[in-house]
Amino acid sequence: MKRVAITGFGVVSPIGVDRDSFWDSLARGVSGISPITHFDATTFEVQLAGEVKEELALPEHVKEVSREDPKVGFAYGACAEALSQAGIASLHGRVLLHIGTSLEIFNLNKVIYEGKPDFKAVARDMLKGISPSLQTPLDRASRLITQQFGRPRQSLTNCSACAAGAQAIGHSFHAIRSAYFELAACGGFDSMINPLGVGGFQLLGALTTDNQRGARACRPFDSERKGTVLGEGAAIFVLEPLEKARAEGKEILAEVMGYASTLDAYSLSAPDPDGDGAARTMIMALKDASLSPSEVHHINTHGTGTQLNDEVEAKAIRRVFAETWEKIPVTATKSMTGHLMAAGGPVELGACLLSLIRRVIPPNVSLDQVAEGCELHHVTEPGTRFEGEYVLTNSFGFGGQNASLVLRRYDG
Amino acid sequence: MEPNRVVITGMGMVTPLGATFAECARAWREGRCATRQPLPELHGTPLEDIPVATLPGIKAAERLGGRRMLKYMSDAAVLGCLAGREALEDAHAKVRFSPERIGLYAGTGLATADIDEVKAMVEASIDERGQFSCRLLGERGLAATNPLLSFKILANMPPCLISIMECIKGPNLIFTPWEGQTGAALLEAWRAVAIGEVDCALAGAADNAAHPATFIYLHQAGLLRLNEYPASGAAYLVFEPLETATKDGRPIYAEIENVSLSPCDEGVEDPLSEPLGRTFAAAPAILLGLKSIHGGGRLSICGVDQQRLEIELKASS
Repeated sequence: MKRVAITGFGVVSPIGVDRDSFWDSLARGVSGISPITHFDATTFEVQLAGEVKEELALPEHVKEVSREDPKVGFAYGACAEALSQAGIASLHGRVLLHIGTSLEIFNLNKVIYEGKPDFKAVARDMLKGISPSLQTPLDRASRLITQQFGRPRQSLTNCSACAAGAQAIGHSFHAIRSAYFELAACGGFDSMINPLGVGGFQLLGALTTDNQRGARACRPFDSERKGTVLGEGAAIFVLEPLEKARAEGKEILAEVMGYASTLDAYSLSAPDPDGDGAARTMIMALKDASLSPSEVHHINTHGTGTQLNDEVEAKAIRRVFAETWEKIPVTATKSMTGHLMAAGGPVELGACLLSLIRRVIPPNVSLDQVAEGCELHHVTEPGTRFEGEYVLTNSFGFGGQNASLVLRRYDG
Repeated sequence: MEPNRVVITGMGMVTPLGATFAECARAWREGRCATRQPLPELHGTPLEDIPVATLPGIKAAERLGGRRMLKYMSDAAVLGCLAGREALEDAHAKVRFSPERIGLYAGTGLATADIDEVKAMVEASIDERGQFSCRLLGERGLAATNPLLSFKILANMPPCLISIMECIKGPNLIFTPWEGQTGAALLEAWRAVAIGEVDCALAGAADNAAHPATFIYLHQAGLLRLNEYPASGAAYLVFEPLETATKDGRPIYAEIENVSLSPCDEGVEDPLSEPLGRTFAAAPAILLGLKSIHGGGRLSICGVDQQRLEIELKASS
């Protein structure tokens, strides 16, 4: 079994479109949540999101695809930054590209013909090449990445909803550790801040309608939390065998130690109220890392701000870390970024990585009053020093998919 | 530690050749081809005379225990749940393995929505100029559609519904949307059983490639060659260690000796395209199921994502 190092990290998020700006916002507790500008949401019950508002420096052909499907540009931008940091120019060879995302984008305007929804008429135009197709395959981003950076041995697109990006990283970690590959570029990308994405999740009751809260509307573990806020972005990591990276003189950002995934098998939208799936995932990830619960020094939670998730996750953490939970600092960075869906896990792993490097834990900025059942050692103030060695992060998805990842500080 | 030898002990399948694995296998042995007919939704379009494969009657509500869950399901999810249940029952997996030790490794195809549900929403969102209006979508369009629409189009939902309906709680991976991605799911399932990460794996895929919107995309993107036609289908298989299957006296379809997934430049190669139609994400799992009834041999398929899946099968002794 090989030790696995992170040698590159790239991020596009509502609070910064590169590593430095992302960390600057995280550390200062700056929220990226604001009224939706990507489309007119003034008649929607849900009017807030964590949008990426800065224009990314992308090749023209990527920009063109991104105009229709913004998440593709986020993936490309984050990947380019991660590969650059790792000094990787090509993905050729024994390389795994594994990225996760959740939902095809669907432009409702496309099914209107002469003022009516007319599928046959629209189909005629599509088949004549006059209008584009309704389908937007989820492997568009990986195709653009491999066009630019070369073809890896395997290119995978994970679609495990909110757990997709974390699963992609965890699977890549195991693949490098087992020596199936020599290098992996992995992570997640997503954007649902479009009429159907926001509307669809509004219908499910998953999003807060507490619009007057503005930047503080996503309130993980707070007694007045009313749902999550959608965010968008991407985070990509480069993983390599640690010894190889060290031999090549690369900067090792951190070591990936453990990963596990489970299924709740309970409900499409709600977590198992006992938190069994969440707890099992954390226990299995710690076992995978050969760690005991008492060795974990910080947790970046899934912490969505929904009634059910936060209480169940807190319960599961208290169960797994029965002896130490009162002392383990936990944060919920979705309070600043919103819920980036498939990109949520990778962005939060990025927050963990930078916490290890910068020795500061970013705060849960919207937590005023801890809700009953959500008792943990919450970090709410910027600038909380952190000297710990091991961090854990959770991602729990619609459909009951769970994933946990464990990182270790690398001190050479 | 030596890796486990991995065998197939359960099969579930819904394809244009049949509504169960037994029906599909019989049709395959007899050399029958899928029945085909044009899609009524495409009448009046350039695709009106081009038929797609049709599925047999599948009795979904009866086989899945009622209509309650069907309202959450896309057509692909229905096919996947039918195949998943059949495979688990075939292997008696749920009475032999703990839910936490059963893994789920799946492929899914392109997202498909119910055209009528989308139509109602869009119709209510058109303004006086005949344009789509976000304002009207918020005011009345959303209220006109199925509130569970997102569950039908999220790509992970078909396998997650299997997990919920069959109580599978173990490690999992879901890939999308082409053949090579399902190939990865089969590869990971095989590895997970071989190294003992799980005691049993349910692996497979479902794809609703004969959906009108998907058919248009496949045609537009040039993903169907001359005389090829799309088909919807699903197949799930149960993998477990040879040792367990032998100890429990379970019938074995075949042993999986090796699985590999590698880049492929030779173009699409789908051995099922003529008899069955192109089922895209579902094709590798369907092919593995049908090949397994012959016991041994080599399976090779290269899909739209230019990744070749190769599986070495050994006949059960």
